[in-house]
Amino acid sequence: MLSVRAAARYHGFYSRSGLRSLGRVSTRHIRTATVTDSDIARLAATPLHPLTLADLCKHGRPPLSEQALLGSANFTLDILPARLAHRIQSLRALPYIVVANPNVSKIHGNYVHSLSTLLPYAEKKIESFKDDVEFTTVLADLVETHSNTISILARGFLEARKYITAREVTRFLDEHLRARIGTRLIAEQHIALHFTSQPHNQLSADDQDLKDERAESNTYIGVIDTALKPAEIIRSCEATVGEICELKYGVRPTINIVGNPETTIAHIPMHLEYILTELLKNSFRATIEAGMEKEPIEVTIAPAPANEHQTMELKNKPERMERNTHGIISNYDQGNVDYASGSNKPEISASANIRPLSQSTPGVTIRIRDRGGGISPENYDKLWEYGFTTFNEDEINDKVSGGNGGGGALDVISGGAGGGSSLAGLGYGLPLGRAYAEYFGGGIAVQSMWGWGTDVYVSLRGVGKID
Amino acid sequence: MRLYIRSCPRGRWCKAGPLPSRQWKCGGIRHASNDTNNDNNNNNNNNNNNNNTPPWRSSNVLDEWVQREARPISLRQLTFFGRTLTESRLLDSANYVRLELPTRIAHRLRNMQTLPYSALSNPHIKHVYELYYHAFELLRKVSHIATLRDNDRFCDVLKMCLKDHLSVIPRLAQGILEIQDSVSADECDRFMTTLLRSRISRRVIAEQHLALTETFHSPWHFPGKKSSVSPEDDFVGEIFLKCNAKEVVEKCAARATELTARAYGRHVTIPKVVLQGHLDTTFPYTPSHLQYIIGELLRNSIQAVVEQVGSSNPPPIEVLICEAAQHVILRISDRGGGVDRDILPYIWSFAKGPRRSRRLHNLGKVPRLAGTMEELQLPPSHPDSVEEGSSGEKFGSSLATLSSRPPDLRLGMGLPMSRIYAEYWAGSLELHSLEGYGCDVFLHLSRLGNKNEVLSTRASMDAV
Repeated sequence: MLSVRAAARYHGFYSRSGLRSLGRVSTRHIRTATVTDSDIARLAATPLHPLTLADLCKHGRPPLSEQALLGSANFTLDILPARLAHRIQSLRALPYIVVANPNVSKIHGNYVHSLSTLLPYAEKKIESFKDDVEFTTVLADLVETHSNTISILARGFLEARKYITAREVTRFLDEHLRARIGTRLIAEQHIALHFTSQPHNQLSADDQDLKDERAESNTYIGVIDTALKPAEIIRSCEATVGEICELKYGVRPTINIVGNPETTIAHIPMHLEYILTELLKNSFRATIEAGMEKEPIEVTIAPAPANEHQTMELKNKPERMERNTHGIISNYDQGNVDYASGSNKPEISASANIRPLSQSTPGVTIRIRDRGGGISPENYDKLWEYGFTTFNEDEINDKVSGGNGGGGALDVISGGAGGGSSLAGLGYGLPLGRAYAEYFGGGIAVQSMWGWGTDVYVSLRGVGKID
Repeated sequence: MRLYIRSCPRGRWCKAGPLPSRQWKCGGIRHASNDTNNDNNNNNNNNNNNNNTPPWRSSNVLDEWVQREARPISLRQLTFFGRTLTESRLLDSANYVRLELPTRIAHRLRNMQTLPYSALSNPHIKHVYELYYHAFELLRKVSHIATLRDNDRFCDVLKMCLKDHLSVIPRLAQGILEIQDSVSADECDRFMTTLLRSRISRRVIAEQHLALTETFHSPWHFPGKKSSVSPEDDFVGEIFLKCNAKEVVEKCAARATELTARAYGRHVTIPKVVLQGHLDTTFPYTPSHLQYIIGELLRNSIQAVVEQVGSSNPPPIEVLICEAAQHVILRISDRGGGVDRDILPYIWSFAKGPRRSRRLHNLGKVPRLAGTMEELQLPPSHPDSVEEGSSGEKFGSSLATLSSRPPDLRLGMGLPMSRIYAEYWAGSLELHSLEGYGCDVFLHLSRLGNKNEVLSTRASMDAV
């Protein structure tokens, strides 16, 4: 589950302060335009902006002034339609019979609908706070609509497994999910910035809860926590996963944090929680099933050293990035891969235009060491596949009909941490976790010692120093 | 007159006359057993005096040998073969070696010949090329080995070749670093990897045969003795059937500690090496390879920790030994600060990286070390100076040179070389760096010995 504070922040935007201050603008009044094929073709032809964490932070620290907020809104408006168009085109490139599947078709429809709601805004700039309120509503609607994409898509692909190879599915999903991370991030970031901006605060100045929240959130820039402490996230994930273990198995493994527990980096708490929850789930289950629950799982937090020239480079980065958008960047280039990632990486086409953020920002490496007996050689090859091939027919039918397959209890957790999407134990944890880690230049590598245990290395890149 | 079918020096199955005359008929063409095939004529023709490139030689002979496929072997085959040593088996082994060596050298010569002209003009590459060609000429002219005397002569030739080629690795590495203008870095890496793999393979089969010969001639060996496996038979030639991982690690740790202490001074506390896991694991392997790999890895770890932490209480290096049915996995974990970000992408490369010029400089110092056998030996008081059973040291293993070089001579080759050695018997070597904290290195070794040696295939060679 999300930590309490993070949950309040995330859901609180919608439940408490958000809708009240939006007044009476409801989703029924959102303007839409018809999306034509030529629109999609035109948008998909424009190059994709390679997203960096610095982009998300460049509008300043909250509370944003109205001008900065409008800057953020227009930035978002510049890049979102193109990204959606790329997704639609990718989907349309799949075999007809796959896209005809009702689940996949629903996702396709969602994307087209979202694009249709964005197009009217894309034609002009956002010039006032009022416009931004409307725009933010649209964004919120977009985020809500797409929150269950992964599970629906997964179901769709399972049903259509006869018509498409596992390899193609893996390839498509790798690309699609990575792009999705970016798109959602942009939208959520703007929404979060909106709700912590000055005009918004003025509007709801009499809200006492909001004042308290504002006081706490001075490390947050939108969804990014600049003082994220991985040790805290580890402890909270340990608690959650431990509870479920105790419920299901009767025992609860412990975690021993070594290295530098006081480390903080600038990163997105939701992502880190998802990654760590998935990895700890694996470790805990393996440890318990090997009978080694007395041995603590060792988690090492190792901050990478930062030098001065890195922060200098970071300041210069945003300008250089924007000048480089004349090259065509493929869909694959939206994630940066760092060298700590092991084999079985998805094929990522190298683009000279993207400067990997990994080169210039300090980060942290988290190593999770367990004594759970390791991963058997047969399963090792399938580690990074999207849960496609490890099921037999019965299990698949079970999942397709919506049942909660074997090992259900632990798999339910992924529902909460993933921001509402229920993965229902479809084996998406590792590849998706890696997608999240790699998105900003980090990675996940797994080393298994069959007969002893497993070591997992999560490397994350942060934003560096922001003033 | 009976005609025998035999394998002639050209590697073909020829009809042979009665033994004394040794006349061969390759496809109807008569040739004597030591036909040099016009080679000597051409050697002196194109004598380029002031040119750096090697003299031109007719490529007919080389073509024939390049055509042959190398026959890879596995550790198990080597072991089983050597267990019952009879005269005929020894001679079979000799003939296998006699044909395999020129074949493999020929493949590598062809590799080198297809490098750009400017690359081969580099003095180091040229030196290696000449060495190889000379060895090739020597070995291909060896006729069929039919008696023990022939075998002895052949063994002398082998020993000489092994000794002469001690300087190959450092010179090759230097050459690679210098020819970056004409050959891309990736190609250099591939070339170096191929050459080194082949070199390991040739030395393995040569040293194995020499060791078998020695066993055969040793006073306590009875020709044709029936007992194939007795518990004391831990060694089959070069292969130690019961390599105990724990002992190897401890020995390498002791040696690495000694070397580091000598380099950094006695006041520096050297980190301890702590072992855990399945400590009784044994498996068949070539001890010289294992000692090299583990030695290099431990050296890296110890040096990193010493440089990171200095003389205060250094964190120990943890070595985990894990045994599975088919693999032995060693994990070496240190807290030496990890690998620097700017060299992390290049740690497996021979040719790339920001520290090239320093490497070049250091490599220049190593050939002198390999020049004389005296410099190789550690002082007699040193416990490692007499290797029990590892006859590779006696035959002038170049690994010994590299392992006992002073630790401040950073060559930048330990990791890629170790990986080639690990992969030779179908193992692997991987590294994970926790930047700012330490490194974990994973060494996978195949335990059953039934995997064939990893050579570069004909296909990849022909693709040039």
